[in-house]
Amino acid sequence: MNGTRTSSRRAFALGLGALFATACERPSRPRGEVAFWFSYGGNNRKVLLELVERFHREQTAVRVVPTFQGDYFEGLVKLRTGLFVGAPPTLTHVVGEVVPYLAEAGVLERLDGVGADVTADLEPSLAQRGTFEGGEREPLVALPFNRSTPIAFFNRPLFEQLGLVPPTTWEELRDTARRGASTTALQRWGFECPIDWWFWMALVGQAGGRLVEGGRLTLGGEAGVRALELWQTMVHDDRTMRPPPGRDFNAWEASNGDFLAGRAAMIWTSTAFVKYLEDNASFAVGAAPLPGDVRRAVPTGGTFFVMPKGLPAHERDAGLAFLRWMMQPEQASEWARRTGYMPVSMRGRQALEDEGFFRAHPNFRVAVEQLAVADTWPWSPELFRVQREAVQPRLEAAVAERRSARAVLAEALAAVEAR
Amino acid sequence: MSLKPARAYHPYAMLAPTLAVLVLFFLVPLGIAFRNSFFAWDLLTEPEPVGLGNYRALWASGELVAIASRTLGYSVVVVVASLALGLGLALALNREGRLYAFVRGAVFSAYVVSWVAVALLWLWLLDPQAGLVARVTKGLGFTPVDWLGNPSVVLFTLAGVTVWKITGYAMVIFLAGLQDVPRSVLEAAALDGAGPWQRFRRIVWPLLRPTATFVGTTGLILSFQAFDIVRVMTQGGPVRSSTIFVYAIYEQVFVNMRVGRASALTVVFFLLLVGLTGAQWFLWRKSSEGRVAT
Repeated sequence: MNGTRTSSRRAFALGLGALFATACERPSRPRGEVAFWFSYGGNNRKVLLELVERFHREQTAVRVVPTFQGDYFEGLVKLRTGLFVGAPPTLTHVVGEVVPYLAEAGVLERLDGVGADVTADLEPSLAQRGTFEGGEREPLVALPFNRSTPIAFFNRPLFEQLGLVPPTTWEELRDTARRGASTTALQRWGFECPIDWWFWMALVGQAGGRLVEGGRLTLGGEAGVRALELWQTMVHDDRTMRPPPGRDFNAWEASNGDFLAGRAAMIWTSTAFVKYLEDNASFAVGAAPLPGDVRRAVPTGGTFFVMPKGLPAHERDAGLAFLRWMMQPEQASEWARRTGYMPVSMRGRQALEDEGFFRAHPNFRVAVEQLAVADTWPWSPELFRVQREAVQPRLEAAVAERRSARAVLAEALAAVEAR
Repeated sequence: MSLKPARAYHPYAMLAPTLAVLVLFFLVPLGIAFRNSFFAWDLLTEPEPVGLGNYRALWASGELVAIASRTLGYSVVVVVASLALGLGLALALNREGRLYAFVRGAVFSAYVVSWVAVALLWLWLLDPQAGLVARVTKGLGFTPVDWLGNPSVVLFTLAGVTVWKITGYAMVIFLAGLQDVPRSVLEAAALDGAGPWQRFRRIVWPLLRPTATFVGTTGLILSFQAFDIVRVMTQGGPVRSSTIFVYAIYEQVFVNMRVGRASALTVVFFLLLVGLTGAQWFLWRKSSEGRVAT
């Protein structure tokens, strides 16, 4: 009796052990399966899933399993968790600022296997080599996917009614915001822009600064200060700009919401929203490049495809096959046409031009043309932390509480040095 | 009937499943968090031992004190207001009749709605331009308050929404407590000339004290665990003025990718909650003993 009890206990313990071992083992994906983690909602998700379906119809060797993983930053945490437990996806996409950080940590696979013809066709300013300072000297670990720049959107009928044109300088921006604002019955702001690192970087560039100057992180120096002061002036002195509530993408959504509801005459947001804003506005939406100050400048944004290192060869090859397909001009142009992101393939862009798409939809052309003044990002693993920890949280405080822009940026620099 | 177990290990065997869950999902993670709090780790590269560096960094930046103060302030408002409102509603609605039953049900209904739904509802109601509250305020000739955009108001706004949601729960617990107050004692007191206030103060409240302690303790724990409402309504802003403990922990891991600092915050959070619950329990015991002695 005792022996029976002992052996059943042993069997239970062994069973439990086996269960744990199975749970902890890296999931082995069937040959040809690609686990693709993505971070889109709404129309972008719909377009992406339709592209995946088309990929499946065109071939049968590779099957892509797309899984939504929350916004970019939630997706990044899940990627890192996946890497840590040895169960990463085959493919995912991450924001540009994170690419050097992941690359320097040695967790990204080289993607040259996608084919020299594909990489040669990539729009230089949107590919790794043109997005990052010295990006061409680094191993190719990131392929552009949904790439964007900030652009201005304006309420076209309202602008016509008020005799306004999109501003081309900071002075004109203030003047347009002043004339576009209204304090009657329904409050309307002249200008709205998320108090976000990306838009601040645009202003820094326009004021003639760079994040890193002479190999040293300066946060733009005087240009960084002037950029912050412009927002402070428009919010507190002119009272024409609304800093939308919420952080990160919540603030972006608030800006879009105010614009669509007629509560903002003009907003700055990503070109990614061209299609969304055009489809959902009850008025004609106009788009324009951002104004300049001492020069015209915009940062690029959006995400890159990356592949974790150490995948089985068959899984890596399947992932590369899907990437190769996604980089083709047909897919690149369809993605751009249906979302507002920029076509990452030069031939894809030319195809859109040839078929008259940009003529018929001039708002989609704005970001593409603005690429001529796009600034590069430094290839630094610290870039991500500078953005998320040092600068981003302080921008909001500087604008909301009107703290000295100079002191805030000095504090941000000190925070970077102290980490 | 003997309560002695047939075999000595039987009670432990009965407790084992619960203990296993507690150990696996509470004590082990807490232990891991404690260990991680002494490392700088981003989940990608090798953890780097930093001793008390994470605690020091949180202290030196003022982050720890600011988060603890905000959380305590939020909790005080939530606990006091939900206790007072829950008790008041229970006393007012502890009557028979369909109307009272309907009102009790209506008040409690907020408690069963998910936090995300409640947060979205209030987000719409409190929108400074298009929200119902702003429209009514404007209609009455007042300047609307930016309930979620003003750093000095936002924490009270979140506390108010929390109170709105959990007051129904406090009311139901108090209603249950009121059932245990002997009617005969209340009638005898009334015959002796005690008014409603005296009856409440001398009879009802002393008998409801254990219920109030329970409501207060669960309210405290619940308010310390607040996350969804912050995530949906403010994302910790504006200017971090609504970044309370659980959201700060989330932010360290999901935004800043700092597992060590998040773990240090978790340890402090745990100790603070244990301390507060212990203090609350101690005060209750002391006041109960005092009552018995007199």
